[in-house]
Amino acid sequence: MNLVRAEILKIRTTSTWWVFGIIMLPLWALAVLYNWGTANISGGVDPAESGLSADQAEQLRVANEAVNVATTLYTSGQFLGVLLVMLLGAIIVTNEFFHLTATTTFLVSPVRERVITAKLIAAILLGLVFWAVTTILNLIVVPFVLHALDYSAQLGDPAVWRAIGLNALAFALWAIVGVGAGVLIRSQLGATLTLSIAYVIGTFGASLVFYLLTQYVADWFSKLQVLVPTTASTLMISGTELPGNPPRWVGAVVLIGYAVVTGFLGTLIVRRRDIS
Amino acid sequence: MIAGHPGTGSEEIVVAGLTKQYGKLRAVDDLSFTVRPGRVTGFLGPNGAGKTTTLRMLLGLVTPTAGRAGFGSRRYVELDQPLRHVGAVLEASSAHRGRTGANHLRVICRAAGVPVSRAAEVLDLVGLTPAANRKFKGYSLGMRQRLGIAAAMVGDPRVLILDEPANGLDPEGIRWMRDLLKMLAAEGRTILVSSHLLSEMQLMADDVVIVAAGRLIRQGPVDDVLGAMAGGAQVRVRTPQPAELTTALTAAGAGVTELPDGALSVTGADPAKVGHTAFAAGVELHELLGERADLEQVFLQLTAGKAEIR
Ligand SMILES: Nc1ncnc2c1ncn2[C@@H]1O[C@H](COP(=O)(O)OP(=O)(O)O)[C@@H](O)[C@H]1O
Ligand SMILES: [Mg+2]
Repeated sequence: MNLVRAEILKIRTTSTWWVFGIIMLPLWALAVLYNWGTANISGGVDPAESGLSADQAEQLRVANEAVNVATTLYTSGQFLGVLLVMLLGAIIVTNEFFHLTATTTFLVSPVRERVITAKLIAAILLGLVFWAVTTILNLIVVPFVLHALDYSAQLGDPAVWRAIGLNALAFALWAIVGVGAGVLIRSQLGATLTLSIAYVIGTFGASLVFYLLTQYVADWFSKLQVLVPTTASTLMISGTELPGNPPRWVGAVVLIGYAVVTGFLGTLIVRRRDIS
Repeated sequence: MIAGHPGTGSEEIVVAGLTKQYGKLRAVDDLSFTVRPGRVTGFLGPNGAGKTTTLRMLLGLVTPTAGRAGFGSRRYVELDQPLRHVGAVLEASSAHRGRTGANHLRVICRAAGVPVSRAAEVLDLVGLTPAANRKFKGYSLGMRQRLGIAAAMVGDPRVLILDEPANGLDPEGIRWMRDLLKMLAAEGRTILVSSHLLSEMQLMADDVVIVAAGRLIRQGPVDDVLGAMAGGAQVRVRTPQPAELTTALTAAGAGVTELPDGALSVTGADPAKVGHTAFAAGVELHELLGERADLEQVFLQLTAGKAEIR
């Protein structure tokens, strides 16, 4: 517990967290606008007359249901929010090597897995702060957006609250992935660049690869797309089961899998490594 | 004494058969020594001798290839509250550039379970209070060393370990540190200070552990180590007839070498004997000086031939 408090104090006594917080705000606003725009366009399309295949028409119809429009909007900011949280998680670790404080840290607590555990907890708490802030902003702004789209606020629907809750889980899990990745890639710049590029390019690249595999190799490849971590976290926060997609819990399981593997691997490596 | 200290003996630093292999390089090679409480012990050796590696193994940061190092019978990781028992200032220890000195110490207090008010006390101890709320990146090398010492003193430890603490300190700072360490040793603490420079160690250390190329060269009280080198004590003599004097002294059983400035360095004879031998041989002397071997010379002799860069 002392170690967790120390890690939180470390975060508070540097500027990184609020710099990221300030970056988060415009990104969040952008996400709301993007989700609003998307809902506006697809809401204007009549699935029956758009010349889409039956499957696609069905997907579109479900996506246009009020509850799904609402869950998407109420979780606005997730895509880039979890990226920032993951980066913060990584920086919490790489800072120790970049600023040569690892020596002091491990002298205070020579049982190294305790340090990593404390960092994981601190990163999760930080992730939840980011989640809370975006969620509060969404709860304030989104009812107006829904009104403009001719929907009601939807806040009576438990599916919306479940999506918001699972969104918290996503922020926490991405924080864990960040800490694990920070241990694996010790360099500050290396970790930040690798994670950002892998997150953004990896997401679109993987979508493309899975699209091609599904089109030209076999249909069942589309079911594996949930293995892409960003797809998994998007899936978690959908309002209803989306046709042609695995159930929500699969997304959660996949993301927990990534968090456990990176967290575990990170701890194992830190235990053995010489600090010099 | 702080409650909860491990039992007796844990104030003694024990290194036994310690070895660290880095690829082909044996950075530390079967090293054994002990460090006693109540004294300042200098851990001496040229650059690359393996001092830092030894200290990092002692502190559980680097895993030994063989052997063990610890406090009494306990390794560092086995100490309950390590910071309350051992304080360390290592070469590469640092702070986050954007964090103030006071906050750096508060983080350590938090992690060690020490009241955060202790930060102000140790800042005062090292004379850093005026810079407490400045960011670390603005600190001079000397201020960084002081902050390191402050961090090591957070838990009021019985054992203090410093790796090359004189680096970056001005003469005034070195003198300050010397007095501080002597005072802490006088309180019964165990103080181990590494250095590759002997001048300041000579004024400060009660004991020395000398290493070169990862191996122990000699350990003991400074006076004993110097005494053991008594055979190495030299007499400096200058004469217009060096050849005659060399012959006479060699016949008398002394060793003679010519110094670069043309004077002779005589071993195995005191000034009186050199003077008498010269007089008996009818050799004229211009200079006759007994030189007590100092630690620097002993050190250079002991570690000579051990490559500095490995
Ligand atoms: N992590 C490392 N990997 C490889 N070689 C190392 C490592 N750390 C130290 N060494 C080597 O071990 C030797 C001893 O280094 P060190 O303990 O730092 O000596 P000292 O502190 O006495 O100057 C040096 O030759 C150094 O290059
Ligand atoms: Mg060194």
